[in-house]
Amino acid sequence: MNTQKKGMTGKDIITVGIFSAIYFVINFAFMLLSGLHPLLWILMPGLIAVFAGIPFLMMCAKVPKTGAVVLMGFITALIYFVTGQFTVVILIAFAVSCILAELCRICSHYRSFRGNALAYVFFSLGMIGSPLPIWIMRDSFLAQISQQGMPEAYVSTLAALTSPGMIVVLVGAPIVGAILGILLARGMFRKHFEKAGIL
Amino acid sequence: MDEARRCLVFDPRVGLALLVFANLAAFSEQPFWMEMTWIGFLLFLMLLHHCFAMAGKSLLIFGGILCLQYWILPAAPGWAATSFSIFANYARRMMPCLMIGFLMFRRTPMPYLVAGMRKIHFPQRLIVAVSVTLRYFPAIREETGYIRDAMRLRGIRGLAKLEGIMVPLMVSATGTAEELSAAAVTRGIEDPAPKTSLVELRATPVDSTAFVVGVGLTAVLLAVKLGVFPW
Repeated sequence: MNTQKKGMTGKDIITVGIFSAIYFVINFAFMLLSGLHPLLWILMPGLIAVFAGIPFLMMCAKVPKTGAVVLMGFITALIYFVTGQFTVVILIAFAVSCILAELCRICSHYRSFRGNALAYVFFSLGMIGSPLPIWIMRDSFLAQISQQGMPEAYVSTLAALTSPGMIVVLVGAPIVGAILGILLARGMFRKHFEKAGIL
Repeated sequence: MDEARRCLVFDPRVGLALLVFANLAAFSEQPFWMEMTWIGFLLFLMLLHHCFAMAGKSLLIFGGILCLQYWILPAAPGWAATSFSIFANYARRMMPCLMIGFLMFRRTPMPYLVAGMRKIHFPQRLIVAVSVTLRYFPAIREETGYIRDAMRLRGIRGLAKLEGIMVPLMVSATGTAEELSAAAVTRGIEDPAPKTSLVELRATPVDSTAFVVGVGLTAVLLAVKLGVFPW
């Protein structure tokens, strides 16, 4: 975080904090839902991206400063840390995606909708860190479930479902989801928030 | 706060340290007996902090997950097994962290958490942001409750519900951000001078012991991983 004149003020920090709370609630709701089926889990980053666009872009519009996205990512990561969902993989994915998103906003001078939208695409990609360990720690994960007494047929189904090809779906889902989320957010902004004078 | 209540406060520094240890343990595939030690230790800690119902619920949930993994899922039809095995696996790994998280949620009031984060030299900006976020969760719950009541009155259903929740929530969040920052700036949140705190953090013997146990468990984990012990 920088401490120059242009840096974030107390108001900016509080605004980021509040919108992070909303972002996290949406994020967590889908996280719980994704426990139902592995396929939902793989699609989860995409689903989150569809619905979390509104708080993210709202926050971007409210806080046109360096560090806002990184701060938002940091808070989310910290709360995930408390819920034990935190792996080194998520940490790296989150850090990389937040920095890319931040760079995007710096280049677009914070005010452009397109710049913020692109930043959102990068930000959404951070969530792929959650299912990614299935691919990275594949062998130990599968060994662990068969050790817990899972039938052979089932383990192979799961292995097929998490084939290397599915990584394309995993990475593609948040991109598509983020674009849908941006369109949804833009519709809402035009329909409600601009008229109400909030933006 | 009187002396008896103060003893119930779970020291935030110990809480954060235990979270780090529990996270390390959760993702290094610890042996079964170590997992049980962690769970037992945390249950005991909950009891010492007078969270009896929470300890009971945690025990039930953990027992449920174990039953699910070892007896129910292997016998369940394919689709059910596919659906719940990853869920059970992750829920079980997350359990110690969640238990510490719940305990902190219940027994570490916000001023203590802020004081604790200051003591371990968290940057001031992060402290403000994190505490605002945590404090806003109950507010979101309250807001959505009201919004839902209003929607029920007007009979709004289906996809319109999404818009019906998001828009008022965003509007009220924007309003709260304005008001809260006006209040906080008036009270000197932007003052670079070191902040003072009304609460005084003192680790109780229970919390200090908990910290030592956490360090011990992590040391044992390291020893097991490095192959010092034959398990």
